[in-house]
Amino acid sequence: MEDDSELDLISELPQSIIEAILAKLPLRDAVRTSILSTRWRYKWASLTHIMFDDRSASHFNDRIVVQDGIVNFITRFLFLHDGPIHKFSLSSSFLQSSPDIDQWLLFLSRKDVKELILELGEGEWFRAPSCVFSCKKLTRLELVRCELDPPPNFKGFLCLKHLSLQQVLIPPDDIEYLISNCPLLESLTLSYFDSLELTVCAPNLKYLILEGEFKDLCLENTPLLVAISVAMYMTDDIAEHFEHSSSCNFDKFLGGVPKLERLIGHIYFTKYLSIGNNQKRSPITYHHLRFIELYQVSFDDMKEVLVVLQLIVNSPNLQELQISGSSNTSATVGAPDLEFWDENFSIDCTLHRLKKVKLTDVSGVEHEMKFIQFLLENSPVLEVMSITPSLYLTDGRLNMLIDLASFRRASSRAKIIFIQEPV
Amino acid sequence: MALKGKVRTKALVAPSSTMTEADSEIIKPEMLKAYVWLQTSDDSIQQVEQEVAMFCPFICHEIHSGMGSSKNYPISLPSRVNPPMLSLILDYCRFHQVQGRSNKERKSFDEKFVRIDTKRLCELTSAADSLQLKPLVDLTSRALARVIEGKSPEEIREIFHLPDDLTEEEKLEPIKNTMDDPRIRLLNRLYARKRKELKEREKLKIVDVEEEHADERSVDDLLSYINGGNEDSKGTRGSKSKKKNRKRKDHHRTAPSNCTSTSNSTSSSSRNAVDIDKKESNDRESLYSSPRHHGNLIRDLCNGTKLLDIEDDRFGPEDDFDDCDLDDDIDPALKEEIDREVEDFARRLNSDWPERMQEILSLGQERRPLQLTTNGNGSLRRFTSLDQRQK
Repeated sequence: MEDDSELDLISELPQSIIEAILAKLPLRDAVRTSILSTRWRYKWASLTHIMFDDRSASHFNDRIVVQDGIVNFITRFLFLHDGPIHKFSLSSSFLQSSPDIDQWLLFLSRKDVKELILELGEGEWFRAPSCVFSCKKLTRLELVRCELDPPPNFKGFLCLKHLSLQQVLIPPDDIEYLISNCPLLESLTLSYFDSLELTVCAPNLKYLILEGEFKDLCLENTPLLVAISVAMYMTDDIAEHFEHSSSCNFDKFLGGVPKLERLIGHIYFTKYLSIGNNQKRSPITYHHLRFIELYQVSFDDMKEVLVVLQLIVNSPNLQELQISGSSNTSATVGAPDLEFWDENFSIDCTLHRLKKVKLTDVSGVEHEMKFIQFLLENSPVLEVMSITPSLYLTDGRLNMLIDLASFRRASSRAKIIFIQEPV
Repeated sequence: MALKGKVRTKALVAPSSTMTEADSEIIKPEMLKAYVWLQTSDDSIQQVEQEVAMFCPFICHEIHSGMGSSKNYPISLPSRVNPPMLSLILDYCRFHQVQGRSNKERKSFDEKFVRIDTKRLCELTSAADSLQLKPLVDLTSRALARVIEGKSPEEIREIFHLPDDLTEEEKLEPIKNTMDDPRIRLLNRLYARKRKELKEREKLKIVDVEEEHADERSVDDLLSYINGGNEDSKGTRGSKSKKKNRKRKDHHRTAPSNCTSTSNSTSSSSRNAVDIDKKESNDRESLYSSPRHHGNLIRDLCNGTKLLDIEDDRFGPEDDFDDCDLDDDIDPALKEEIDREVEDFARRLNSDWPERMQEILSLGQERRPLQLTTNGNGSLRRFTSLDQRQK
């Protein structure tokens, strides 16, 4: 073929592109390019973004063999590596805690690593060595399944912008200290924390993702927060705690986020917000809030409905609303207080921008239907409302449809889509 | 107003056709659309819709600095952008700069877009990089990574036309990514053995060289010994023998000089000839003694290389014995060497002995020359016989 006489296709590409290509390969394949030709001998060795995942691990039956193999590979790789390391990501289900990992972290801390991602296997949790806390240049830290114990002289990560801790054991005081001493923190993710009372104080925080059993959540100083996603799990003692709580959670949590654009709440979030919430009006208006997504809203509980209404009414620019009902309809709560709906809100409830509404797990309880009616009457530019009935609702669907058909619509373009099969 | 114009245009062209807005605008390029002029590496100039071209940061910058607005001032694109690549890139830009597309649509377009042969993929990456079109660079480098992933080195070399120019040695270095696969371990062991063999071969070469050096050193030693430069080891011997000889001299002075000067001359040919008469008896005795004498003779000649050393003349069986003792210090092999060298030297000296003798004797007493001459014939005869033998 004439191609044989052609020049080398790829080695002429600039180093930045070669690195981009090598960085997209599993690490093992990237290292194998060292035997392609003399020019390729050490192209892999100057990779600045090192990502090791299970694609690079060989698969044998004996776990110990695989783990030893991985440890050998990474140790040798780091030893032969030449140049700065900006990102090190290790995500392997075969690796467990081992002293080698401590040594790698020590090596990386000396290389001024900027992004560190560690996710080890399911066994014994890895205990982060203190050298992790001396990585001064860290901008991103993501840890899964490990124990963090900041040393007493730890002053915080001054460059840290992204922090993600999932299934991490850390003393509660330390977590708040850590957050408040990362002045540049923009994104915070805390997953699977147990019984945590959290007060977040992060002046630059923009994205907040929380998931776990939180006893108490307070956003003390987060003026720039743009997106919040919270999933609150419930245990018995948390439920008790809720009952005895006197403060207004809504204000504590959503009282200081004027720039909020997206709000997502799962499981008991709405319930949490409803506790201690007595007023119909929230302290601030969410001018930028365009997208609300709330799951497991129990329409049996008037208080929860109030929370939803409060949010909606105070978000003049809301564009998209997604509410998922809670199917655990508790035993008859008594006749719902429907008069509430008849009294007019003292403020203008028109939702001038609401275009899309998606309601799922609709069980057709009175409050829910009233809510739908409310939406339809107050959304002049509504385009689509899709309703998916709850799986447990078998007989009442026809009634629901009859009710829906009778509702007045403020928007002439509104389409109501009734989805029979669950999405 | 402009909007109305557009609508009218559409209606005029073909209201029933499924042309997109973009298409109709290309067919009727009115003042509604701005155009820029681009010049590629082969100096050809193209006209491209501005909003499409602006998707490339490079072109964007050039437009902002005022280039590209007319045919006379086209934006000259970097050399890595040739016309076919430019056309591909513009297709990409044309698709993606439209706002309304969903992520799904874009992804699907991207997947189809990179289904081109590897050579063009590399060229496209290079061209996109020079135009700073990062999303396209990411897309193409991901595609190239997929091409490389999972393939053997031979396959990769073939696809990209890489030269297979690593030396055997370099290829033998252990595979860095071994995962304790028993096959890889075996392979590494084989490689290690091969490397060891290579190293051994290298070592042998070095050893040979070193031994040669060793040999040379010993030869140098020999030569210096012969030339009398080696004061230390030989000097002591010499001095010892000197002493002994002195004793002998004293001892033999009284004895009548029965020996012919021939014997004297033979044995003392390499020595200071002043004390010939003293030597005479000794020499004769040494000549007629047992076979041992041959060695002794040579040794004496050796000792006598120091021509100026008068006191070394004495020979005698006793001396020889003593010399023997002294010479026991020398390594036998070295001794052989020394003997051989000395013999050679002796031969050389013997050949010009008569002339030298004359020289020396002319400085000394009368009697000696007489003695010499009377015995000279004999000695000469002897010499000649010797010479002849050794010649």
